[in-house]
This record gives sequence, C-alpha cells and structure tokens, in this order.
Amino acid sequence: MKILIIELKKEKRSGIILLMFAIGILGAAYAFLNFAVRKEALLSLSLAPMTILLTQLYGMMMTLNLFGIIVAACMIYSMEFKDCAVKKMYMLPVHVPAMYLCKFLILTVLLSIAITLQDLALTKIGITNLPRGSFELHTLIRFALYAFITAMPVLSFMLFIASRFENMWIPLSIGIAGFLSGMALGVPKIGLFLADPFVIMLKPAVSMSTRLDVSVIAIAIVETLLFLASGLWTSAHIHYE
Amino acid sequence: MNNMITTSHLTKKYKSFTAVSDVSLHIRKGRIYGFLGPNGAGKSTTMKMLLGLTAPTKGSFTINGKHFPEDRLAILKEIGSFIESSSFYANLTGRENLDIIRRILDLPENAVDDALELVGLTAFGDRLAKKYSLGMKQRLGLAEALIGRPPILILDEPTNGLDPSGIHEIRNLIKSLPALYDCTVLISSHMLSEIEIIADDIGILNHGRLLFEGELNELRQYAMNRSFAADNLEDMFLSMIEQDNASRKQRTKL
Repeated sequence: MKILIIELKKEKRSGIILLMFAIGILGAAYAFLNFAVRKEALLSLSLAPMTILLTQLYGMMMTLNLFGIIVAACMIYSMEFKDCAVKKMYMLPVHVPAMYLCKFLILTVLLSIAITLQDLALTKIGITNLPRGSFELHTLIRFALYAFITAMPVLSFMLFIASRFENMWIPLSIGIAGFLSGMALGVPKIGLFLADPFVIMLKPAVSMSTRLDVSVIAIAIVETLLFLASGLWTSAHIHYE
Repeated sequence: MNNMITTSHLTKKYKSFTAVSDVSLHIRKGRIYGFLGPNGAGKSTTMKMLLGLTAPTKGSFTINGKHFPEDRLAILKEIGSFIESSSFYANLTGRENLDIIRRILDLPENAVDDALELVGLTAFGDRLAKKYSLGMKQRLGLAEALIGRPPILILDEPTNGLDPSGIHEIRNLIKSLPALYDCTVLISSHMLSEIEIIADDIGILNHGRLLFEGELNELRQYAMNRSFAADNLEDMFLSMIEQDNASRKQRTKL
C-alpha cells in the first residue's frame, strides 16, 4: 500500500491521469457525435440494435484506448528515466518489482476508468436512441469486460517495453509499429497472429457480433500475465547501471 | 578497529575491461574517507557496487556488519547516497521529491524540512525541481542523501556544479556531519584540495587498483619513503599515479 501511495504521488503533474480521463471523455464524445450524425444510417444496418451499438462504435474507441495506453506507458517510465529518478529508487530500500506492479495497477485502473466513461456514453445512447426494448445492459457490460480484457495484453506489453528503454521514442515507436501490425494481422483468422497483443486488442473491433470469443479471452489473460511476469522479473534481476 | 564498510577483493569486469580490481577497503566508523583517483579509475563503479547498482564480478563487502545482497534493503536503509549527479522527478517540487524518499524510509514529516535546511534549500523547496539551477539540483541531491540523517553517506563528486561559495558551504557541511550526528562518510572528488581539507582517511585508486589506503600523514610518510613530492595531497597523488602508470606501461611492454 505504501508503494502504491508513493507511485500515485509521483504521477502528480505528469499528465498520465489527465490523459486517460481525456481518452475516456474523447471516446464518449465520439460515440455521442457519431450516433447523432449517423443514427439513421447505423440503425438501418441489417444487424441487431445492440450489435450496431457495440461493434460499429468500438473501432475508434479501441484506437483511442490503444494510443492512450501506449503514451501513458511511455510517460510513466519516461519520468523515471528523466533526470535519473529511477537511479535514486534503486539506491533506496524499495522493492523495485513492487514499484513495477503498482505502475501496472495504476495504468489498469486508469484504463478501466476510460472504458467505463466510454461505456456510460454507450449506455446513454442505448437507452435514448435504440428502438424501445432493444437495449440490453448485461450485453453491454459483457462486451465492456471483453474489450477491457483484450486491451490488457497491450498494456502489459507496453509497460514492460517502456520499463526497458531510457529513450521514450523507442517504446513509442514499438507501440506504433504494434498498432500497424494489429491493423495488418487483425482480420485474417490465423491463430498464430494472436501471439501479437495488438491483434488481440483489435479482435472485438473487427468482429461483427457481440459474441465473446473464449479462446481470445484465454490468450489475452495468458499474454497479460506473461508480460507482467517478464516486467517483474527484469525489474528484480537486471541491475540499473 | 571498528569498520563501517569493509570490502574484500572487490572486482568488477565489463567483458575484457577491468573497472575495479581486487579492491579491499576499510572505512572506519565516524570518519570521512576520501576516495581519490583520476577519471575512469573505478571510484564510481566501486560506490555503485556498494549501493547495489551494479553487481561485483568477484569479491564481497559488508556494511555495518550486514552482507550484500542478502541484507540489501537493511543496508540501503542506513545509507544516504549521491552518485555522479542528482536524481529527481522533474514534475515534482524539491519538497515533494524529498517527501517520496521520506515515505520510503518511514521518516517523520519534519525530516523533509531538516534536509532542506541542511543544504540551504528551504526557500526553494516549493519550486519545481526541473526549474532548479544546476547548483540547486546538486543541493537537492545532497538533501536526498542527508534526509533522515543516515549513519552512512556515500557521496560521489557532491560539489560538482556548485559555485565557489556553494563548494565552501557544502564542504563545511560534510566536514561537520560526523560531529553533528556520528555518521561515516565515503566521498570521492576530483578536487584534491577539498579532500585534503575534509578527509580523515584516504584511498587512492588508479586503473581499478587500490594504490594506497590510510591516514593523510601515513600517505605523507609513504610518499617520502618513495621519494615522491610530499608537500601537499595533489603532489603526492600525481607522483603516485605517474609512477603507477609508468610501471603499468613497463609491464605491458614486457
């Protein structure tokens, strides 16, 4: 708990909390605006109203969340490397893996807040704009959880990468390359491509139904834990020099 | 003799380059130990090993009777350190930076003000660290080392970047610390005159090897026995380094 409070104090004026809130609000605003402008066109699609609500708006929100994760992960470690602040941490009686875990938790909570803000907008749209009786809250919650779980491998991967490079441009470039790889490999249904965490995050966006893919969820959880374990291990075993 | 820090055959190799070779230091409790050596002699590497920033290739050390790496956290709790340059979060104020360290060390809240006052930074405590001048950053780094008045201080070139009056002030502060609260100081500096004024014991390092360890007057005696210049620390140091470099060259030729 002590380390978590310290990590939260470090985030003051860093812009990370503001960034993730902004991502949530931007995603919500996009959903409102899109539905306001394209309501008739969207509802005339030959899909169930809930499917339209969730799948037709998710693509842009996912992209916003993805870039939010990439930038936030880079920023959270950039402030550690800038002016060698992390060097001081290694010279203090701090359990460095605990520090890493707290950063992971902070980013996870911020991402869940961003997703919640976006889903609150979808709830409002669903209640007010979908045909009467077609809005299903449980479907929306299930899909929101699916979107959150499939976003976690990217968060875990980006935090690991950001913790390894002092130059922020390297993890940022890796993140953008990852996004492009997700775009290129997301549509083909080749199982091997799911090893790419960016492909996993893109899965709900390229799906034309609100049905959850259990194998995608399982792979997402495994990848999240794998990258988290890698980050914890390297922070404990690779010396800062 | 009551040693606070003891190293035994401490060695650090980077591939084929040996940065520190077989160094055995004996730093006595309540003393100021001046660590001297030209650039690249291995002073910072030795200090980094003592702080766990880099792992020794060979050898071991104990700090206040505790062994590394088993007692890493307990050792670091007793050491205030400043290595090469100050380390801080640029998005936080000086006071907020110190508060983070205070929380890590479980110190009372007044420890922050105490540290700021010790280094003369009280008036600037609420300014963002990124807006500090170089001298103020150095002072913040020192405050981070001094917070909670730790029993051991490891300071690597702490007066770098300070103006002459700042150097004088910090030198006097470091010199007063063992009397102020019974601490042991390991300090490295390029400014030989500075070490001559503040240090009780001296260690001279060249190309990773410890050439001399002892009190200043023992160094003087050592220098005279070898017909080195013994007028001041600078002359003794330069003669010793020159002779070591010459003998290294000789060995290389052979």
